[in-house]
Amino acid sequence: MNDLLSISSNMFVVAFFLYCAAFILFAVALMGRRWSNRDPVAHSKKWGKIAFIGSALGFIFHLIFFVTRWIGGGHIPVSNMYEFMSFLSMMVMFAFTVVYLIYRKTLLGLFAVPISIIIMAYAAVFPQEVQPLIPSLQSYWLKIHVTLAAAGESFFAIGFAAGFMYLIRTVDFKSKDKKAKRQQRWVEVVFFSVILVISFIATVFIFRAAGYESVFTQTKVTGQPGAEQTVTQTVSYKLPPIVGPYQSKVVSYEPFLGMTKPLFNAPSWMNGVNAGRKFNTIIWSFITGIILYAVLRLIARKPLGRAASPMMEGIDPDDLDEISYRAIAIGFPVFTLGALIFAMIWAEIAWGTFWSWDPKEVWALICWLFYSAYLHLRLSRGWQGGKSAWLSVIGFLVVMFTLVGVNLVIAGLHSYAGVD
Amino acid sequence: MLQKVIAFKNTKCECGHQNPVGTVLCESCGKPLDEEEQNSKEVLEMRYDGMARRSQRANPNIIDRIWNFFASVKIAVYMIILTLLGSMLGTIFPQENTFLNIDPSTYYKETYGTWGLIYYKLGLTHTYESWWFILLLVMIGASLVICSLDRVLPLYRALSKQQILKHMQFLTRQRVVYQGKIEGDAEEWVKQAAVPMKKKGYRVHTDGNALLAEKYRFSRWGPYVIHIGLIIFLLAVLARGLPGLKMDQHIAFPEGEIKHIPNTSYYLKNEKFTVEFYSEEDMPEEFRNQGKVLPKLFNTKATLYHCTADCDDPTKEPKLEAVARHDIQVNDPLDYKGLKAYQFDYDLTPVLRSVSPSLVDAKTGKELGKFKLDIKNPQRNYTAGDYSLELKEKYNDFGLDENGRPVTKTPNPNAPAFLFLIKGPNLPASGMQYIYFPKQIDKERFQQDAINEKMNGGTPPLMLDVKGMENVDFSMSTTYLNIRVDKVMPFIWVGAAIVMIGLVLGFYWQHRRIWLRIDDGVLTLGAHTNKNWFGIRREISAILKKMNLDVDEKSLDNGGKHA
Repeated sequence: MNDLLSISSNMFVVAFFLYCAAFILFAVALMGRRWSNRDPVAHSKKWGKIAFIGSALGFIFHLIFFVTRWIGGGHIPVSNMYEFMSFLSMMVMFAFTVVYLIYRKTLLGLFAVPISIIIMAYAAVFPQEVQPLIPSLQSYWLKIHVTLAAAGESFFAIGFAAGFMYLIRTVDFKSKDKKAKRQQRWVEVVFFSVILVISFIATVFIFRAAGYESVFTQTKVTGQPGAEQTVTQTVSYKLPPIVGPYQSKVVSYEPFLGMTKPLFNAPSWMNGVNAGRKFNTIIWSFITGIILYAVLRLIARKPLGRAASPMMEGIDPDDLDEISYRAIAIGFPVFTLGALIFAMIWAEIAWGTFWSWDPKEVWALICWLFYSAYLHLRLSRGWQGGKSAWLSVIGFLVVMFTLVGVNLVIAGLHSYAGVD
Repeated sequence: MLQKVIAFKNTKCECGHQNPVGTVLCESCGKPLDEEEQNSKEVLEMRYDGMARRSQRANPNIIDRIWNFFASVKIAVYMIILTLLGSMLGTIFPQENTFLNIDPSTYYKETYGTWGLIYYKLGLTHTYESWWFILLLVMIGASLVICSLDRVLPLYRALSKQQILKHMQFLTRQRVVYQGKIEGDAEEWVKQAAVPMKKKGYRVHTDGNALLAEKYRFSRWGPYVIHIGLIIFLLAVLARGLPGLKMDQHIAFPEGEIKHIPNTSYYLKNEKFTVEFYSEEDMPEEFRNQGKVLPKLFNTKATLYHCTADCDDPTKEPKLEAVARHDIQVNDPLDYKGLKAYQFDYDLTPVLRSVSPSLVDAKTGKELGKFKLDIKNPQRNYTAGDYSLELKEKYNDFGLDENGRPVTKTPNPNAPAFLFLIKGPNLPASGMQYIYFPKQIDKERFQQDAINEKMNGGTPPLMLDVKGMENVDFSMSTTYLNIRVDKVMPFIWVGAAIVMIGLVLGFYWQHRRIWLRIDDGVLTLGAHTNKNWFGIRREISAILKKMNLDVDEKSLDNGGKHA
């Protein structure tokens, strides 16, 4: 690794910790309002400013990471999952900064910064080495298409942050009526999903630090009867296998909590060589996610939504609604240009057709259709406030599925972007 | 029902203006027309400035009903959601067109089991070409046209004839409202107020004690510009389905061969194909010892020819003229007048192109003559020295059937063989039959010598032999190019560009209007924008500050929904 690249990876770590610090400062700005002998408005103004400076500093280091990696690696670092996710988290901070400069609402940072932190941590799950570009990626459209698409998506992330804050602020967590109950439940689901992602990342890092590995061989028989072909592939698990690959044999199994072999093998429809491993990762994420959620519930002694709602007191919900909508309105044209139009132009140059119904393309279109439905409902059907906030939350889930889920679950022409 | 109720209402406003049926706010003074509305204190619904739309016509007939259906935003959103869900279904399993040669009726069941079969039976393996998906696109297109027309015309009328003095109710029931006492002469105050407004880019119209300030009206046309762009885009997409506008073929071009592109008057020659791989040093450490190879470059040095004469005459060689030369790479296709050639695939297996065997006396080894045999397009007759060779039969892929007779197994030149009738000095008058395998490996595999001995009842007096590698011509590699013509592409790009212009107009500017009137020293101000209420409140607060009125931004908020 050359010098610039090692500087670059240090900058990544510095930016990450600055974001974490900024997050804590935002929490101080918000929760410290009720501390004794202070004026709540002045307190949140002062600490909000400090927190914003912290996050802006983090952004600068993040930018240094990006530039040094670009120079050191010889091409723009957006060509694999690690690079793209790092870039996306940087753009989320960029979008937060833009929206902050318009509205000067420090509290947004409390939700926007953690999104960036989580995406950045998720990036670090993937292999970090600079890979040379394959011919299909050697184009200046890589720079334009990927960066602009990420920029649009990061504004949707801010829309999500403000929308979710709106919900925590406005959902009646004390009410027992049916509608309020349903809303409370879904707020918990959103919290749980975020915790699930965090616990997935944490689990991966814990076992990676411990150097855990178990290996299987999977034998797959293909072809017509009488002319079968047998393919044997090895699969390496970095998490203790609860579930083994379909029709597999253990090569080595590092015992974990008394387990010396997988509890069961993946069902026949999960016959892909990595399907069992991915399924195992999902099971692990749920186990650790449920534990983490339970611990948080025990600390809070109430549903997380209800625990979080007092923090939002004194924030004007109309402002949150406006910010959420505005972020999406800023992001929508950028997303259209970056993720659809420039994607079409590049596809026309590289593949010879502007549209080939590749899963990634289709999901970008689905995001676009979703947000255009959102805009129509809001502008023409008066869906404001709660309904609009829920849509902004769902919309961001669709965006994340497009970026992550499609690569993990559905492969297509874009599959080179995901290594794991 | 509602439309019937409206039909019998008096639509004449107290200001004397006669409004069309369906009008919500008087076109002239802005007073709500509905009696119930008049007694309410709710914020006014300002959509399309309260104008009547065609879709609100009384007693709709069948055409009106169709119009109303497509003019409904609710229906449009349903169609968007259905398209969205349909698109999702199409990504569950790969679509048929992802594969070049499969039989979908068996492929999906074999690969994905029962679910794959169900998926195939439901027709979801070609979701995006299915009738219902295309119907949805057509309906969205219709909705785009009708929705836009239904709204843009009344909106245009409303904005092009605006009254400056508005009804009190119109002002106090806006979402941004301010009321307060002012000092001094009313008309003078209005004149003064116009100054900071003009500075902020407003166009200001005054009428005595009343004022109307407006800016960025063009932003209101943004959505309609987007819709026009989308209509062009959708029409272009649908037009691609028409015959003759599109061509898409994958063709193999062996190195050094000029090949005709079917259905065109063009020929393409692959001068040289190159593939490069990243060296070990270029690769990250974790890839190095895994034997992974990562391609760096695929390059086809290509020349495109246009046929100028004798194109369709099989007896003559077509006359070709080179029209374009290009190094075709993955992100860099050859483009000549809309005919595009894309790097698609390659094959590094050498292909035998021609050999120049010598006719040799089997006993003495003396060379009697030489000729050039083109594997793909051999001539019927050759001469070698004093001998003539007549090609009786050509086998592309030599094999023997169950009766031991020679046959061609496939049309691919895997094992070419040539059966000659040789005539000349010291040969029987009827000539001598001779089978020739240009490839050494086939010669041994099919036992060329044994066949020839059998045909001639003993060792033949002559034989064909290639003397040295200089007499063999190989094409070292084959490049696969995707040849495309897509005549609707310019319309796609125009549509996309118009959409982008509309998006920028509509989302990055907002149409802002401020109305104010002064009655007996009391200022009443109402303001409206189509987006970004936060921004307009801030702006008005700043304007009022210039007029020595200190008003908090938030206090201007009169409630209501924030579009």
